[in-house]
Amino acid sequence: MICKILQDVQDSLVNPANPVNPVPYSSKFKDHLAHPRNAGELPGANAVADEKNPVCGDRLRLSLIVKDNRIKAVRYLAYGCPPTLVCGSILTELIDGKTIEEARNLTRADLVNAVGGLPSRKHHAAALAIETLHAALAN
Amino acid sequence: MPLSASELATFRVFLMTKRRVYLDHSATTPVDPRIANAMARAVVETFGNASSVHGFGQQARAAIDRARREVAALIGAKQNEIVFTSGGTEANNLAIRGLCEASSAHGRHVITSAIEHPSVSGVCTELEKRGWEISRLPVYANGIVHVDDVARALRPDTVLITVMLANNEIGTIQPISEIGSLVRDKKQLWFHTDAVQAAGRLPLNIDELGCDLLTMSAHKLYAPKGIGALYVRRGVRLHGQNVGGHQERERRAGTENVPGIIAFGEAAKLAREELTSRSQHDRALRDRFESLVSERISDVVMNGDREQRLAHLSNISFRFIEGEGLLINLDLEGVAVSTGSACSSGTLEPSPVIRALGVDDELARGSIRFSFGKDNTEADVDYAVEALAHAVERLRLLSPLNRHDLQDFAGCTG
Repeated sequence: MICKILQDVQDSLVNPANPVNPVPYSSKFKDHLAHPRNAGELPGANAVADEKNPVCGDRLRLSLIVKDNRIKAVRYLAYGCPPTLVCGSILTELIDGKTIEEARNLTRADLVNAVGGLPSRKHHAAALAIETLHAALAN
Repeated sequence: MPLSASELATFRVFLMTKRRVYLDHSATTPVDPRIANAMARAVVETFGNASSVHGFGQQARAAIDRARREVAALIGAKQNEIVFTSGGTEANNLAIRGLCEASSAHGRHVITSAIEHPSVSGVCTELEKRGWEISRLPVYANGIVHVDDVARALRPDTVLITVMLANNEIGTIQPISEIGSLVRDKKQLWFHTDAVQAAGRLPLNIDELGCDLLTMSAHKLYAPKGIGALYVRRGVRLHGQNVGGHQERERRAGTENVPGIIAFGEAAKLAREELTSRSQHDRALRDRFESLVSERISDVVMNGDREQRLAHLSNISFRFIEGEGLLINLDLEGVAVSTGSACSSGTLEPSPVIRALGVDDELARGSIRFSFGKDNTEADVDYAVEALAHAVERLRLLSPLNRHDLQDFAGCTG
């Protein structure tokens, strides 16, 4: 009897429909990680910032074209842990087409929400993204 | 949290359309059906308490003894020198604390290496807090301890040397027999090696190794988790860490995990019989993998000594990118690996093992461990390399670190 049960278990293991626990990130998160939006450097950018988290070395670079007080185009580059890469990608979607004022009002919490939540020890990724945005808009 | 019906449907489609390739055999191995069968039978049939005098108990006792012989044979030891534990971590704890607590009258100095598993380095750090002195030997660029450094670190009050047999992250094999020769004639000095990654993968003989204590774990050998063993050379005194029973010759109190022990015995037997063929198989896949990676992907650094390492393992740093992003991208393609990146281990510092090789943070954060096993195929390797090449390319397109056109931001060049 036991061997029958075991056989069933083994069959289900090789059955591709057998569910296993997926990695602990949301599907939106993984989608942005696999397919970053607005990746790259923007030629002719007139607002650029490149910020680094001195603790872990994560780095985010934003290049924007700002015209008539509005963000007309945005690109980003990032190095670091997945939340940093994903926060960059989602940030570009949030600010594309926004006025400077609207973009400046964006908070770390807004970004964390847009990502679908982050564990608190990963909030630094959202902080770096907002900081880089503010730096870009300041120059 | 259970998946919703729609998530489950999506995930089923994912699993049916995506190949799944498990390349994380150093973390754990899939359970061999032969071992699972032996264990399942034992769960039902061999339920007696091995300490009981009646027939049920004696049946369990006999099964444990058979398994103990198999585990002992794996390292050329005698069966009464094997103490079963719940796994490698418990065996390392019992070996180091047990030995140090039993021999503190002779001295309070321990020699270890900079690349030990946390279940060894953690115990050493705790001993240090209790007033012990710990010498942590460096490894060099190839990830191997120098025997001369061991000799130089020895002091009259050294009671224990604990150096792993093969490293879990980079697979480098340490000069255990040479260290063994060094300590062989010394009184009041004992030698422990954590052989969790090596036992069953390398031919081992305890007399050639010359160590007094050796740690093994079953789930690296296609058996389930929850069972391991400590080899204790005859005459070595250990202070028991589990008290309140006479089991395991007073070394480890608690009713024996009979099904686990039987599974370990079966795993040890199979590992011994298939050691050469498994090792040749893994090596062929690993070498194919490394040569394909070198052809397809630029700016990679292979970590650890090229020769003196386990046959099934490859540790590679990919410049300009970070390991966990790569790991998740590979996972989305069904390929399972590990990373030395800090982010996935929940600490800020990247892998101490890769750092100990003297490489920079970027390389340490970009390191990925691929570990092959007996059920992997060449097609698995080819699929993994394809997925890896695409994932690395995608992440590098996103990385500012390899963009030489971004020099206008001095001080921010990564």
